[in-house]
Amino acid sequence: MHRFVPFAAFCSKKPGIGRSVCLVMALLAGCAKRPAPDSSSAHVLRISQRNEPSDLDPAKATLPDELFVIRALSEGLVAPSPERGPPQPAAAESWEISPDNLTYTFHLRPRGKWSNGDPVTAADFVASYRRVLTPATAAAKAPLFFMVKNARAFATGQLADFGQVGIRAADPLTLVVTLERPAPQFLHYAASGPWIPVNPRVVAEFGRAWTTPAHFAGNGAFTLAEWRPHQRIVVRKNPAFHGAARIQLEEIQFIAFDNGDAEERAFRAGQIDLTMAIPHSKLDTYRQERPDEAHHAPLAETRYLSFNTTRPPLNDVRVRRALGLALDRTRIVDKVVRGGQEPAFRFVPPALRSADDTANRLNSTMSESAAAARELLAEAGFPDGRGFPEFELSTWVISAPVSEVLQAMWKKELGINVKLLTREAKVHVAALREGNYDIAFITAIPDVPDAANLLGEFVTGSPGNYPKWSDARYDALMAEADHSVDAMQALLHLREAEVRLVDQAPVCPLYFNTTNWLMRPNVRGWHQDALWTRFYQDVYLDDKN
Amino acid sequence: MLRFIARRLLETIPVLLIIITATFFMIRFVPGGPFTAEKAVTPEILRNLEAHYGLNKPLHRQYLDYLGSLLHGDLGPSFKYPNRTVNEIIAEKLPTSLELGLISLLVALALGLTLGILAAVRRNTWLDYLCSTVAMVGICVPTFVLGPLLVLLFAIHFGWVNASGWYSPVDRVLPCLTLGCVYAAYIARLTRGGMLEVLSQDYIRTARAKGASEARVIFRHALRGGLLPVVSFLGPAIAGILTGSFVIETIFQIPGLGREFVNSAFNRDYTLVLGTVILYATLIIGLNLVVDVAQVWLNPRLKFE
Repeated sequence: MHRFVPFAAFCSKKPGIGRSVCLVMALLAGCAKRPAPDSSSAHVLRISQRNEPSDLDPAKATLPDELFVIRALSEGLVAPSPERGPPQPAAAESWEISPDNLTYTFHLRPRGKWSNGDPVTAADFVASYRRVLTPATAAAKAPLFFMVKNARAFATGQLADFGQVGIRAADPLTLVVTLERPAPQFLHYAASGPWIPVNPRVVAEFGRAWTTPAHFAGNGAFTLAEWRPHQRIVVRKNPAFHGAARIQLEEIQFIAFDNGDAEERAFRAGQIDLTMAIPHSKLDTYRQERPDEAHHAPLAETRYLSFNTTRPPLNDVRVRRALGLALDRTRIVDKVVRGGQEPAFRFVPPALRSADDTANRLNSTMSESAAAARELLAEAGFPDGRGFPEFELSTWVISAPVSEVLQAMWKKELGINVKLLTREAKVHVAALREGNYDIAFITAIPDVPDAANLLGEFVTGSPGNYPKWSDARYDALMAEADHSVDAMQALLHLREAEVRLVDQAPVCPLYFNTTNWLMRPNVRGWHQDALWTRFYQDVYLDDKN
Repeated sequence: MLRFIARRLLETIPVLLIIITATFFMIRFVPGGPFTAEKAVTPEILRNLEAHYGLNKPLHRQYLDYLGSLLHGDLGPSFKYPNRTVNEIIAEKLPTSLELGLISLLVALALGLTLGILAAVRRNTWLDYLCSTVAMVGICVPTFVLGPLLVLLFAIHFGWVNASGWYSPVDRVLPCLTLGCVYAAYIARLTRGGMLEVLSQDYIRTARAKGASEARVIFRHALRGGLLPVVSFLGPAIAGILTGSFVIETIFQIPGLGREFVNSAFNRDYTLVLGTVILYATLIIGLNLVVDVAQVWLNPRLKFE
């Protein structure tokens, strides 16, 4: 598939068409050298941007792709740590936690400035958070504030007085946040996207146009220099940023691509330094021929099957378990998806587990055994798959190859027939929401590095509870975790809930996803965590390479 | 002729209204909405979002509101891009698509007419066979094959141009050539056919008998009639180049309207879908009218009725 000199022979040996096309092209191109705007310079990093940001407003961002740019332009009180760990100081240089774990007092940097020169004050943070929570703003990620006192009531319109919400400015440099109840994971939420502030004066003055390069004001390491939608976004180093001395990049260009092959061609043509992915068909070639350009990292992303527990016989836990037991996840990972993914025997991905919880298997019933699966299915009344109704396995386009393997494995091991139904992404999700499916392939991506953010989806009535599953024991365990004052205690409850989830099998985890990308060997200091947060401050381009 | 044009323009109004109504309701009945995402939004937040965009009103009310703002030329806010309106998006992207389409059309005409005339004049010689073969290959090779091949050759192997992007004039070369080539192939075949038919007519023999030079016979006498099939093809072709630029825009990452059009359907960006559909419908209706007028002008046997 992938050859680096495919046309040398075509052009040099065969006369006629090939050569005349070359000639015409040479004339048309005027034999010009590669044009200037994308020429690589020592301090300009060119990154492929696969999803055009809807907006660069932190209050409205919902995708990691939007935060790639927003995090370069602005920073919250605290920021995620590049090495999995507690969040680090960002706009706040320090903070204190009250003995009852309810009040967080953040101290802002005294010389913090917006890129338009305004000082960054605690009142700006209050105004920003008020904006996120105001119902008319329609911020999709407002729930990431809901551990703050009265935040949910204000965001849902039950409370009109923002003064009662637990966010206030004690003085221009001190922000006090009061929580509903102790939340050991709170700082991770405070490091998430919607907690990144905006300059309220700029927003008030320019309205929806405030995110255009002419008006944008951020408090981050870079400023917005150019935004040509579906073409490129350029950010330049902000000399007024408190950590400017450490930043080595002068400029980052986010170059739009909405197609993996076009992105890879641009990489080979030297137009970008970093891609978002490696086309599936070229994984092996890059790994073998250009190992120094092919990179790979785990993601906090669980790909799983959801069983519609309202439809018999999927309401029978034995049937659900049998379907899970019959699968060979290692084969799916090694032979089909092939991106270095990890077979999943539990739901919470490694990046969200506590330091002492490294096992990939829980003390649960989940394993892989075709024999046990057949036994369970027979027990449920379907010996050798006889009488088992024909189910549909719904997927969206990109997961089609995996579903074909699942279909074959179930046929071979259990003797049951599953029809495949591939739908467009939004049609697929809409069907999941309405419970209009039998078995579906989906992805769980957390907003914050907190297992509760993933597991909370399966609490009775939660909007992400696609299996329509309701289990009193599970709900109780999740509530206990939510009410735990101690971080360790919360994790223990969460792990117990996870065991319950895996045992009752409303979902069947398949694998933990990874990201594969291409990067030029001269890019140094690149960091990206399992939740897609990128850390630009240590990146530099090594000219000698 | 003016009466003909006026009548055709009046006919456009009900046609557009039907298109708008059908699109409005069809896109609403597609499962999933602008805020459908795998990471589910809580019901109270969804209510906030729907209230923000007026989606909580009854559907017929939304339809009437939309028609009302359309009368003022307002295509509404985009659901996917909250900091831009549909008018702004179209104003920004349409010129790029027009530029791509126009240059491609010129490439198509230059290549297609040359090949077609050459093939017709040197009928049944090696030149004819070569031109016809090239045209046939051009029709058979789709843009998504030709485009990446040209990129492999000229961007990656020779490094003369960028593999993608739309910044400098050089960036126009590969996309316009790719899009132009496909249409050039059709034009070449139509030109050859049309010219052959005309060249066998009596009035051409008469022209030759009167001692007109071969060049005069071809360009002055034969071409006008020989181009008729090409002209009727150009109407749909221009519309096709403009609306069908999606593939080229994706291969070469051109910030044109074709990508917005297709992606808006995937994003359920209701207003952007409607805005682009209305624009394309108007363009196609307008171009068909132009083609009808041009045909009467070129062919004295037709009349405006």
